Amino acid sequence: MNIFSLATKNLLRRRVRTGLTVTGVAIAIAVLFSLLSFNAGYERQLSGELGSLGIHMLAVPKGCPYEAASLIIHGGVIPRYLSYADLEQVAKIDGIEVASPMLLHQFYKDDKPHIVYGINIEEQKTLKPWWKIEGRYFKDDEPGAMIVGRSLAEKENLKVGQVLQFGPDKVPTTIVGILERTGNQDDEFHFLPLSAAQRIFGKEGQLTTVAIKVKDVSRISEISKKLEEIPDIQVVTMTQVMGTIMNLVGSAQALLFSVIIIALFISAVGIINTLIMSVNERTREFGMMKAVGASGGDVSRLIIVETLIITLIGCGAGLIAALLGSKLVESFVRGVIPYSPAGELISIDPSLVFICIGFALAIGLLCSIYPAVKCARLTPMEAMRSDLE
Amino acid sequence: MNNVIMSAKGISKSYQRGSEQVHALREVDISIQAGEFVSIVGPSGSGKSTLLHLLGLLETPSSGKIQIDGREMSGLKEPDLVKIRRGSIGFIFQQFLLLPTLSVRENIELPLLFSKKKARPGRIAEIMDLLGLSERSHHLPHQLSGGEMQRVSIGRSLINEPKIIMADEPTGNLDSATSEKIYELFKMLNNNGLSLVIVTHNMELAGMADRVVRLKDGKIALN
Repeated sequence: MNIFSLATKNLLRRRVRTGLTVTGVAIAIAVLFSLLSFNAGYERQLSGELGSLGIHMLAVPKGCPYEAASLIIHGGVIPRYLSYADLEQVAKIDGIEVASPMLLHQFYKDDKPHIVYGINIEEQKTLKPWWKIEGRYFKDDEPGAMIVGRSLAEKENLKVGQVLQFGPDKVPTTIVGILERTGNQDDEFHFLPLSAAQRIFGKEGQLTTVAIKVKDVSRISEISKKLEEIPDIQVVTMTQVMGTIMNLVGSAQALLFSVIIIALFISAVGIINTLIMSVNERTREFGMMKAVGASGGDVSRLIIVETLIITLIGCGAGLIAALLGSKLVESFVRGVIPYSPAGELISIDPSLVFICIGFALAIGLLCSIYPAVKCARLTPMEAMRSDLE
Repeated sequence: MNNVIMSAKGISKSYQRGSEQVHALREVDISIQAGEFVSIVGPSGSGKSTLLHLLGLLETPSSGKIQIDGREMSGLKEPDLVKIRRGSIGFIFQQFLLLPTLSVRENIELPLLFSKKKARPGRIAEIMDLLGLSERSHHLPHQLSGGEMQRVSIGRSLINEPKIIMADEPTGNLDSATSEKIYELFKMLNNNGLSLVIVTHNMELAGMADRVVRLKDGKIALN
């Protein structure tokens, strides 16, 4: 027999209470872990997604607020346009590697929004070198050809060679390729040659935005100043876009976290209460142990070991529950947060596991210190009597 | 009197109960010889349990001095007192105070967990045999009779091989036949050379001791 088996037997004596306390710890840890994982995964996905756009800035029509600019990236459409003259001026600026004009058009099919991107394919391939395709890319002067994103293809059951009809004139367009999954919003879009898209949707000579890649990232702010000198143009850099999205997300996150902190606090108080109660009602036993030779330290150690067993088992159960339930949490959080990136939101980071174990240990120690010290200080008779009072 | 194992000089114990100062024990002198069997008797509230607790170092006297094995106890702090209790004194309580989740054997071994000692080989079997508990080794306290529970508690007091056993009303919860058996056990332990100090209400059983100390109103009325 050792102190560990003695503690375990003591805990098994009150199975229901021990079970409930463990459950309380487990819930607190599961919530903490899910939310921390979500937060880490969310930020990583978001910045990863923005980085993988391969675009450093967007030139957008003046009067277009940042929020609208962030919409553009995810397929929102704004009712103002740039002209080819603007594009020429942009392309002239020194330090720009690629300036690729794009037209975005949104239409509804079966009440679901669909996004069409008119693009110059060779430029897009430079901006997005990770694109891979099943089938082939269209050529810029190939009307009636298109490519689609992987998720869209799966949702709509689209195959290479299939023909879709676009625009008011129902122009037949053949799918010549399907993009391999990118993990970002490109998976959801239709891509047409820019000129074809302009014609189909009646937007000849109009551009929604010019996507810009610079030669040297450190010159982004200098180049963006030069771009802003062009009268019709406003520049949005990706860091600004990210900042805007983060602001939108931040308030929802703050609410979420305050709820969690309150939940954790309540569960910690509950755990402390249960532990103090279970120690108090056994004070006489601790008195007996002291009479038969236990030191104050022995009694404290027993109480602390018992508490740590509870909190660590609870922590383990909570982590397992959080891992199993991460999909559930993800779908819940997607409903609450205003913008959520594609891809896995919950990221299981080993350091978060350690944070949670640390949190559980801290709760365990915090909860056990008071009763442990109190019990250790009593003389054997005080302990034995206190039970009777 | 050169073989005194435990002695007290002028010990008093008083405590506050509400606004009233209760003098549980007043200026008591007592000494216990090695190998002596002493009964402490007296009416309720006469201070007999208090005297036992003070002698056994379970609480500290308000005034007076206690010596164990010739060593002065007053002024010692709890960590030192723990070592003395652990090494020299075995306790037996009226309510047995066994741990309900531990088997008979584990309850007897409990003090070893705190003294971090190993019992000498065969010691546990020897104790169980002596107490007639060999068949009950793996039983839990709730499966035992009152007499058996008290025997487990006696076993627990013996495991660290103390010099003196102190028992507070050990037969208070037992019927008379069982009580008598427990006393026979005490007598046997005493014959093996162990000192015993036993507080009891039962005058008949008290008479089995070498010496009876009678307390009244916190003072020794008869020695």
